[in-house]
Amino acid sequence: MAAGAATRPHYGGTLRVEMHQAPPSPEVFGVPQGFVLTSWEAGRRAVFAADENAPGGRPFLDAVEIQMARSLRDQSVDLELGKADIVELSPAELRRQMAGRKVWSSSPVRLMALAFGPRIADARVREALALAVDRTAIHSVLLQKQGEISGALLPQWLTGYAFLFGAAADVARAQSLVAGLSPADRTLSLAAEDAANRGIADRIQLNARDAHLMVSVVPSSGIADVRLVEARIAFADAPHALASVAVAFGLPEPPAARSPEEQYAAERALLDGFRVIPLFHLPDVYGAGPRVQGGPVISPLGEWRFDSLWVEDRP
Amino acid sequence: MMFRTRLLLIFAVAVAAAVGSVELVVSGRARQAFENMEARRVNAIVAQFDKEFRRRGDEIVRTVEGIAASTTAAEIAISPDPEKYSLEGGALAATNRLDLLELVAGDGAIVSSAQWPARFSYKEEWLPSEPDWPSRPAFLKREELPDAVTLALVAVRTAAVGDMKLYVAGGRVLDSEFIASLVPPQGMRVLLYRNLAPAFAPAELIDASGPIASATLLRPLVEQVEKQGSDGLRTIGRGASAETFHALPLKGRENDVLGVLLIGSTRRDLVELEASMLRTAVVVAVSGILMAIVLSWWATARITRPVQRLAESAGRVAAGDWGATVEVASKDEIGQLARAFNRMTHELVEQRERLVQAERVAAWRELARRLAHELKNPLFPLQITVENMQRARDKFPEQFDEVFREGTSTLLAELSNLKQIIGRFSDFAKMPAPEIQPVNFNELVTETMRLFEAQLSKARISASVRPDPKLPLVHADAEQMTRVLRNLVLNAVDAMPQGGTLTVRTIAMGAGVRLEVSDTGQGLTPEECERLFTPYYTTKTHGTGLGLAIVQSVVSDHKGRIAVESEKGKGTTFRIDLG
Repeated sequence: MAAGAATRPHYGGTLRVEMHQAPPSPEVFGVPQGFVLTSWEAGRRAVFAADENAPGGRPFLDAVEIQMARSLRDQSVDLELGKADIVELSPAELRRQMAGRKVWSSSPVRLMALAFGPRIADARVREALALAVDRTAIHSVLLQKQGEISGALLPQWLTGYAFLFGAAADVARAQSLVAGLSPADRTLSLAAEDAANRGIADRIQLNARDAHLMVSVVPSSGIADVRLVEARIAFADAPHALASVAVAFGLPEPPAARSPEEQYAAERALLDGFRVIPLFHLPDVYGAGPRVQGGPVISPLGEWRFDSLWVEDRP
Repeated sequence: MMFRTRLLLIFAVAVAAAVGSVELVVSGRARQAFENMEARRVNAIVAQFDKEFRRRGDEIVRTVEGIAASTTAAEIAISPDPEKYSLEGGALAATNRLDLLELVAGDGAIVSSAQWPARFSYKEEWLPSEPDWPSRPAFLKREELPDAVTLALVAVRTAAVGDMKLYVAGGRVLDSEFIASLVPPQGMRVLLYRNLAPAFAPAELIDASGPIASATLLRPLVEQVEKQGSDGLRTIGRGASAETFHALPLKGRENDVLGVLLIGSTRRDLVELEASMLRTAVVVAVSGILMAIVLSWWATARITRPVQRLAESAGRVAAGDWGATVEVASKDEIGQLARAFNRMTHELVEQRERLVQAERVAAWRELARRLAHELKNPLFPLQITVENMQRARDKFPEQFDEVFREGTSTLLAELSNLKQIIGRFSDFAKMPAPEIQPVNFNELVTETMRLFEAQLSKARISASVRPDPKLPLVHADAEQMTRVLRNLVLNAVDAMPQGGTLTVRTIAMGAGVRLEVSDTGQGLTPEECERLFTPYYTTKTHGTGLGLAIVQSVVSDHKGRIAVESEKGKGTTFRIDLG
């Protein structure tokens, strides 16, 4: 009886969502389809209520309450304790997910890359670091094989040519590139903008040491020569996506491409000089508690889809 | 230095040397005992370290064996997707309270590393190269961490499921906490140097509370042990702050020196003990020396009193009191010496008396011989003259008056000669005591030589008088000294029958004077020089042989000395020192 009831959507209830990001404004966050913003506490909390006049009909949920700036670990704990219904899942948490728990993931819509600051003027150092990073090991272990290894700015699913950008490590070549440089020139600092990526930064530091580069991992708040950053692929068409990524990384605006070849050339041009070293394209991954029914919570492009969910409080 | 003072010094030095020797021996023994005790304490600490080291090693082995035997390890070993377990190392290490834990696949690739999570997939080649991990005890290992290098006690065990294998390498860091678990005796401390850097790193020398200050002082010892791979010993500092360090190498799996255990033992106790002994020795030595002075004063007085009496008696003998004796009060060597001295003086007196008697007899014989000789010469013409007068009266009465007149004349002359001879002998016998008064010898010499001018001129002798203008006045009998000079001048005249040069000079000799009379005559042999002052001895064909004897007698009465220096053919010099 209860199981039958669980399969049937019904109205009502508040969905509790947690995320580690803290968008500065509702516009950046984006209002979910079928809901209207009723409360916004910048960096902390947002509440959306069901739009009775939504074009596709009123959502099942009465409201969605979003807690921002929650660490991935806290989110995981809250999900375990039933304090949250939907949380982001890090690869580490993904390993611990209990069988039967709902997990939704998007297409790889986030680019993880190393972005160099102006101090590292020698392209050989940047290229050496690009060649030193063992993406395969990081992808297998730290990312638990989520997303894709990539040497391109845009993901394979979007362009079809991403595989043409090399992503294999070549430590010997990296060593030869920096062989003639002084220790000072081979020393650089690395900051991971997201603390959740500290493990990846540590691994990059270790890989860099193999290439005779002396990388020190510094806090994200400090000044760093190179930063481990993520940029969202916000568009489903390649030219717009490349332009937005270029802006995100401070690269020159690429020329408008009318064909895949031009698109490829534009992207190749952006990556010449190794100012940005693409590492992975990652999906958004969310886990849901037992109250949550329906789904998925996100679209392939990573947009919220709360209108397809309802909650069910079990006795 | 007086004999008594010397004896005192000898006693004092002997006491001081004895006390010093005892102090040295006692100090050496104490040092030896201290060293032995320290060696025992060091051995105890080393044994304690070994025991603690083994205990911890066994504990780590058991823990690692437990992990290797767990289902988790088996799951990882057989898992086709070991990447899922990249965080297991940290979790297992925390659960099992290990500082280090690595789960390593059969091919040597790290599955999970607790101490360095980012090292997954890196190869640990040394693990597959050892075939028999299950039987290996824990060992020291230099362990690299993300931001440091440390020294750890590590054990390795394997989890094998079929052909699949997982190495479990776990351990604990050897740090201050480990040192704190060792409890050294008072006055000792334990340090650990972790040989983790290519060169000596002061921060790696730790004690129970962390890196120690002044670690660089121990650098030579640490480097010596690292280089030689064997125990070392060195004392750091001076005096009471000195500390002796025994250093033992801590070796790793491949016998490389990964650490140095240093056991420091303060020298304060030994230094204070030695200082105390030295103070005691000084007090004992000073007391001993003072006591030695008192006792030796008394003892040396007992020893030196008879010697002093002997010396006084010897002095009296030297002064002419040949009858001086020493009281014999003991039977020891000093007593024997005193008896020998008394026997010697007794013998001397007897011999002197015998000698005087013999000399007296000889003198009388010489006198008789000389008298006979002197008297025989005038007696022979007397006898001839008387016999001529008798023969003339018997056979030539007409010539008797003339012979008588000539004979009586001769007799009177010879009788006068006899009278003169007897007068000279009488003069020598009647040598009067000197009448002492200040005498200017320069004037005495000048006036005396003036009397001889004619005689010297006749004998073709040139006289040279050299008075010393700085000559002091000398207390003497002027008349007797004039007689001395006259005799020496006459002697010189007799020595130069062919003429020559007579030199008389005076020389100031401090408060006294020297009178020198030199001739250029025929000179004397050494034998003649020796007998020259013997009464009645003469080298001349005439004279009584009393001249130089009178000279020596006068000089002796004036407490002076006379010496003669002569060379055959070149001349003779008489020197008289007075005053």
